[in-house]
Amino acid sequence: MKRTLIALCATVLVSALACAQNAQFQAGVDRAQVGSGEQFSLQFTLTNAGTGGGKNLQLPDLGKFHIMSGPNESSSMQIINGAVSSSVTYHYVLQPKEIGKFTIGAATIEAGGVTLRSAPVVIEVVKGSTRANQPGGKQDDAAAQIGDNLLLKATVDRTHVVQGEQVNLVFKIYTRVSIANYAVEKNPTMTGFWGEDVETPKNIQTNPETVNGKQFRVGIIKRMALFPTQPGALEVGPMELQTSVQVQDRRSTDPFESFFRDPFGRQVNYIVKSEAIKIKVDPLPPDPPSDFKGAVGQFAMSTTVDKKTTRTNEPIDLKVTVSGTGNIKLIESPAVELPADFEQYTPKVSDNINRTGDRISGSKTFEYLLIPRYPGLKVIKPVTFSYYDPAKREYVRLRSPQIELNVEQGAAAVTPLISGGSQEDVRLLSQDIRFIKLGESGLSPRGEHLHTSGVFIAMLLLPLACAGGALVYARQRQAVMLDQAGYRNRRAIKVARKGLKQAEYLLKEKGSTGAPASNQRLRFYGEISKALWKYLGDKLTIPQSAFSIEGAVAELSRREAPADLIASLKALLETCDLARFAPTSLDLTVMQRTYDEAQRIIVALERILR
Amino acid sequence: MTMRRILPLLLILVAAREVPAQTPEQLLRQANQLYQQGKFPEAREAYGAILSSGYESPELLYNLGNACYKSGSVPAAILNYERARRLLPGDEDLRHNLQIASMVITDRIEPTPRLFVWDYWDGIKNWFSLSGLTLMVYLLYALVAVMASAFFLARTYALRKIAILAGSGSLVLFLFFLVVLIARLGDVTRTDEAVVMSQIVTVKNSPDAKSSDAFVLHGGVKVQLIDRVGGWSKVRIADGKVGWLEATAVEVI
Repeated sequence: MKRTLIALCATVLVSALACAQNAQFQAGVDRAQVGSGEQFSLQFTLTNAGTGGGKNLQLPDLGKFHIMSGPNESSSMQIINGAVSSSVTYHYVLQPKEIGKFTIGAATIEAGGVTLRSAPVVIEVVKGSTRANQPGGKQDDAAAQIGDNLLLKATVDRTHVVQGEQVNLVFKIYTRVSIANYAVEKNPTMTGFWGEDVETPKNIQTNPETVNGKQFRVGIIKRMALFPTQPGALEVGPMELQTSVQVQDRRSTDPFESFFRDPFGRQVNYIVKSEAIKIKVDPLPPDPPSDFKGAVGQFAMSTTVDKKTTRTNEPIDLKVTVSGTGNIKLIESPAVELPADFEQYTPKVSDNINRTGDRISGSKTFEYLLIPRYPGLKVIKPVTFSYYDPAKREYVRLRSPQIELNVEQGAAAVTPLISGGSQEDVRLLSQDIRFIKLGESGLSPRGEHLHTSGVFIAMLLLPLACAGGALVYARQRQAVMLDQAGYRNRRAIKVARKGLKQAEYLLKEKGSTGAPASNQRLRFYGEISKALWKYLGDKLTIPQSAFSIEGAVAELSRREAPADLIASLKALLETCDLARFAPTSLDLTVMQRTYDEAQRIIVALERILR
Repeated sequence: MTMRRILPLLLILVAAREVPAQTPEQLLRQANQLYQQGKFPEAREAYGAILSSGYESPELLYNLGNACYKSGSVPAAILNYERARRLLPGDEDLRHNLQIASMVITDRIEPTPRLFVWDYWDGIKNWFSLSGLTLMVYLLYALVAVMASAFFLARTYALRKIAILAGSGSLVLFLFFLVVLIARLGDVTRTDEAVVMSQIVTVKNSPDAKSSDAFVLHGGVKVQLIDRVGGWSKVRIADGKVGWLEATAVEVI
């Protein structure tokens, strides 16, 4: 019993393990080679995933294909001899976009806690149909039927333009089959263009047209106006259209099948694609006007102001309208040169574009709001607008007339706007100016300052004179103090001469007796003596009181005076002394000789005592 | 002209001669009264009349500035305040009123920053009135002279020492204030500053009406005159921008 239980458990475990190990994920296509217009199916099959099934299916990159339908999920379960096998199939219908050999990469799925990967699948896409001649599946039959009978063609009216010139692009569908409906799968790429859809009738009208001997019905799907915004070789990408095409199944020999067949055929999804178009764009001629901003076409401009007279702070509306054909939408606002102190806001732009007809036309209006801040006659300079005219192959410059505005003083005064003012500014603004100064003094003729008045300039000299006087006085005083001996020395000869002159006068003066009177003689000798004493005193710098003949003689000999001169001086002095005590003994000739002697001695001494 | 029209005119002329000339002080008193009565435009004219008779004082210019401000002409107020400031830079009322007038004008020009030392220098320069400064320089000059005299005449060494110390001290002070005075006189007599009197003036890049616009100034802005060509003045504003404007748009301070 125990043994049986263990065996049972083991069996269950092993089978469970086997079940998990057997889970497989496979990818497959229904055929390895397809035609470019054909559809094929791609399947991912998950087998033995257990009860949980698969989840989180990750598809590989299918960018080279259109997914026409899918995923369609189907599952099956089989029990054969007690063994359970289950499978889940994910089914896609694809149509190739391009011709070539492609590898569909691995898809992943999670099952039973394990991520499973499918093997990559290779598929080859060949031009045309692979099974055109083989009667086969219905799908292939339909693709073969549509084949060359459904075309999408893109045409342009010009392939060589200048930058900004309009190119008309038309997508036409050529069909020999009946199309139930269509939808744009992918719009054409238009790098380097500004495209404007041109209105087309809602209901497509078809016209018969013969291409390569085949009769087609042709309808316009889409019409566009393109404006290249850059020079160079530009390309308009292909447009893809998904169509539902009514197909008739081929007559079958099987009567039952033909009986059950839909008499109106059935609908097949089919993608039709146009070719890319190359357009060569020339750059605009060099040296455009300064105000050229890319407008190409034929334009006219008008400017209007709502009023010619206004008040300060009342706005004026200036409208600049550019109208014509060309790339209207790309026109930028022309610069309006305003007088200073006008406030200007960014213009309000409105456009009105007419999209019908062969050429895009319309108008663009720029509305400028101007606010004059100060009164006066203001002139708005002419507004200019330049465009390139591709027909004339030249730049054209439009110029509006000059606008004159009369601005009157408005009622409201301009209140100063405090922006970014400091707190101090705000505080000050609430204050008034201070009151006037009522003092009446201080009025003086203009330009009159203290420093320019005559009195002041005169006063400037006063301290200078004061200091100068002090300097002179001090100098003199110092000289006296320092140079007394020299002063006496310089003074000596003058004093001596003066004494001698006095003596000469006494000598010459005749008394009533015809000869000098005795007191006169006495005075004569006195004068001679005094002159000599003073001279010697000054010259030898001996104070008068300490003077004696011996002292003078000693000083003279010290100064190396000649001995005979000293002797005659001594004799003269003694004569003078003697004459003062016995005046009568001396007559006029002696007096004369004494005088001459004194003069001679002084002159000689002057020579020595310099 | 008929006799009938000439006669009253003659009478007026005669009458005008008869009226004794009023002293400027009396005129100033009358003008102040007009201001106090709130007749600002009349007061402005009265102050202007005193000025045009050749008299001036900082107070007169200050009062005229007030009258201009009150009668709504802020640029003229600023011009007169600036003129008054030349003569009386340190006055607190004047500075206050000038600040308020500068707030009211349209342009707010950020002056280029300068070294703080210059603010100190201005403070010293503007501390005294011009006459006060002149007098002070004179007194220092006299003191130097007196000290020199004392030095010459002093008999003792101690006295000489005192004289030479005091003298050189006052000489240093004298030289410093002399420099201040010269700088101040330069300020008073400078003619390279002006105030924009037009309500608005477009400053051009060159002295030519057709030249491109550099910037726009409004009335009351103080500018520095750098050059003059014909009827155009080259100006620099406080933030360093330079341009040309018509000379009639500004009035020299």
